[in-house]
Amino acid sequence: MKRICFFMCTVMCAVAVCTGCGNDVQELYVYNWSDYINEDLVVQFEEEHNCRVVMDYYDSNETMFAKLKAGAAGYDLVFPSGYMVQIMARENLLETLDHEKIPNIKNIDSAYVAFSLDLQSKYSVPYMISNTGIGYLADKVDQPFTPSWRIFGDARFAGRMTMLNDMREAIGAALKTLGYSLNTLNPVELAQARDLLVQWKKNLAKFEADQYKNGLVSEEFFIVQGYSGDLYQTMEENSDIEYAIPVEGTSLACDNIVMLKSSEHKDLAYAFMNFLLDGEVAAANMEYVYYLAPNTAAYPFLSDDLKAEEPILMSPSIIANCEVIQDLGEGNALYSEIWDQVKAAR
Amino acid sequence: MRTLTPRRIQETLFTAPSFLWLLVLFLVPTLMVVSMSFRTADPYGGIGDSFSLEGFKDIFSPSFPGILFRTVNLSFQTTLWCLALGLPVAYFIARAEKKHQAHLMLLIIIPFWTNFLIRVYAWKIILHPEGMLKDMLVALRLVSEDTSLLYNQGAVLLVLVYTYLPFAVLPLYAAIEKFDFTLIEASRDLGAGPLRSFFRVFLPGISQGIVSAVMVVFIPALGSYVIPDMVGGTDGEMLGNKIAQRVFVDRNLPRGSALSTLLVLAVVLPVIGGLVVKKIRSNGRAFADVPSIGEHGL
Repeated sequence: MKRICFFMCTVMCAVAVCTGCGNDVQELYVYNWSDYINEDLVVQFEEEHNCRVVMDYYDSNETMFAKLKAGAAGYDLVFPSGYMVQIMARENLLETLDHEKIPNIKNIDSAYVAFSLDLQSKYSVPYMISNTGIGYLADKVDQPFTPSWRIFGDARFAGRMTMLNDMREAIGAALKTLGYSLNTLNPVELAQARDLLVQWKKNLAKFEADQYKNGLVSEEFFIVQGYSGDLYQTMEENSDIEYAIPVEGTSLACDNIVMLKSSEHKDLAYAFMNFLLDGEVAAANMEYVYYLAPNTAAYPFLSDDLKAEEPILMSPSIIANCEVIQDLGEGNALYSEIWDQVKAAR
Repeated sequence: MRTLTPRRIQETLFTAPSFLWLLVLFLVPTLMVVSMSFRTADPYGGIGDSFSLEGFKDIFSPSFPGILFRTVNLSFQTTLWCLALGLPVAYFIARAEKKHQAHLMLLIIIPFWTNFLIRVYAWKIILHPEGMLKDMLVALRLVSEDTSLLYNQGAVLLVLVYTYLPFAVLPLYAAIEKFDFTLIEASRDLGAGPLRSFFRVFLPGISQGIVSAVMVVFIPALGSYVIPDMVGGTDGEMLGNKIAQRVFVDRNLPRGSALSTLLVLAVVLPVIGGLVVKKIRSNGRAFADVPSIGEHGL
C-alpha cells in the first residue's frame, strides 16, 4: 500500500511539474495535415515569440470538420482546403480576419487567389497549392513516359497501381480523361466516368489515400495517383520516383490558413499567420513540403532545383488544364452513389 | 408482490456497478446510434430533426448484398479457421505438463504486447511483392511472378485469422483444462472409437469454451475495418469500411448509423435467441424429475 501511495505521489508531482512549466509561455494550438510544415520554422517562431506551438494532425478535411463540429475546442489555427473553408464559414466556426494584423498578406500572389474560393481573404489566407498527378518508378514504365490517366487501363501494371481512395479525385481523373469537368453534375457524364473507372479498377491493387507513398518507395507499387508534394517528398527516399501531371488535366487544391472563432490566442495566431506569409519563411517551407506557396515575396528565395520543377510551380499552361474541386452540397450524393457502384463493381 | 429480502438487496448492490457500466457505456451509446439512424442528414454532416427512413436505403441498394455476404462470409471463415487452429493449440497447452503451461500461454499472449497496427504492417512486409516469401514461392514455382499476395480477400482472411486466433485459444484452453479426461477413457471402455469419443464426449464437454471462442472471434470480425482497409484490395470492402465511408467521406451520419444498427442487430438477435431457447429448455426441464442419460453425453 505504501508503495502504491509513493507511486501515486510521484506521478502527481510529475504531472504538476509538467503542467506548471507551461504557465509562463503562451501556447498556440495548430491543427494541420501531417508533413505539411517545415518543423525548423516552427522552432524559429517559438524562439521569436517565446511561445510553444502544439501541433495536432488530421488526414482529411472531413475528419477535422467532424471533430470540430463535435465540440473539440482549444485549437487556434486550422489548414482546410477551399471548399471546407466555405463549409466552416457557413457553420460559423471561423473568425473574420483583421488584415491589419497580417501585414504580410500583401505577399499573396494574386494570380492564385482564384483557387482559394475565398477571394477577399475574409476568413482565410492561401497556404499551399497542390495538384494531383501520377507518381511512378522511372525504370518500370516505358520511356519517354507520357503522363496520362489512361495508364491505369494498362494491364501490364495490373496489381501494381493505386488510385486515391477519395471519390472526388478518383472519379475526377476519369472525368478529366473523358474531357468533362470534374465538378460535373451531369448524370450521363458521371455514368461514363464510372464505367471507365470500373475498367481501371481491375488493374488497381487498391484505392489508397495514404500508404501509396510507402508503397512507391518500397517498390510495392509502380504507378500511383497522388498529391504533388507528397510524391516529391518520397523522392528523398527513392531516387527512381518521378512525378508528372497528366496531359488530360487534373485537380488543383488550395489549402488555407483559418482562425477559429473559439481561438483563445488570437494575437499569437495572427502572428503565426503573418510569419508563414513572410517571403523567406514561405520559401523555406516550400523547400520542405514541395508544394507551391502562392507568395510573390517567396519566389526570389527559391533554390534553382525547386524552380526547375514545373509540376510544383505550375506554369499557366498547366493551370489552364486544371480545376479546383468544389463542394457540391446536395450534388455530393451523386458522387457518393457513383463511388458505391465503383467499389461494388467486379 | 415481491418483497425485497436482504439477499435481494445485496444482489442488487453487487450487480449495480456492472449494470451501470453496461448502461452508460453500451446501452445508451447504442440507442443513440439507433435513434440517429432514423433521422435526416444535411449535406454538411449535420443531423436534421425530422424522422426519416432514408438512412436505411443502403440495405436496398444493389451493391449491399455483396458487401453483407462478404462480411459474413469472411467472419464465418475466420471463425472456422480460428477453431480449427485454436483447438489443437489449446489442447496441446492444456495437456502439457503443468510447469510448461504458463510458458506456453505466455507465447500466445506476447503478441498482444505489440501494437495491433504494427502487427498488421508486419504482415504487409511479409507479403510484400518484392519480399522474401514471394521470392521463395516464385522460386518453388508455387506462384507466378505476377501473383499478388497482398490486396486480396485471401490476405484479409489470413490477417483476420492471425489477429483473432489468440482470442479463440484462451477460452478453448480454459474449457479443455477443466475437462475431465477420464470421461474419454470411459467412453473408449464402453466401445466408442477415437472419432466417436472426440465428437460425442470431448466436443460436448468443452462446448462452453467453443461457444465463447466463436463469440469473441465472429462478433469483432463482423466489424472489421482496419484489416480490410490495409491488406484488402479493391474487392475486399467490408461493412466496417462502408460505415467509415458514410461517416468520413459522405458526411452522412444517419446512413452510417443505420449500417451500424444492422451490425448490432446481427450480433444481438442471435444472442437473445440463444438465451430464449435456453430459458425455454430450462423451464421444460424443471418438470422432469430424473435427468435423462443423454445429458451426460453418452
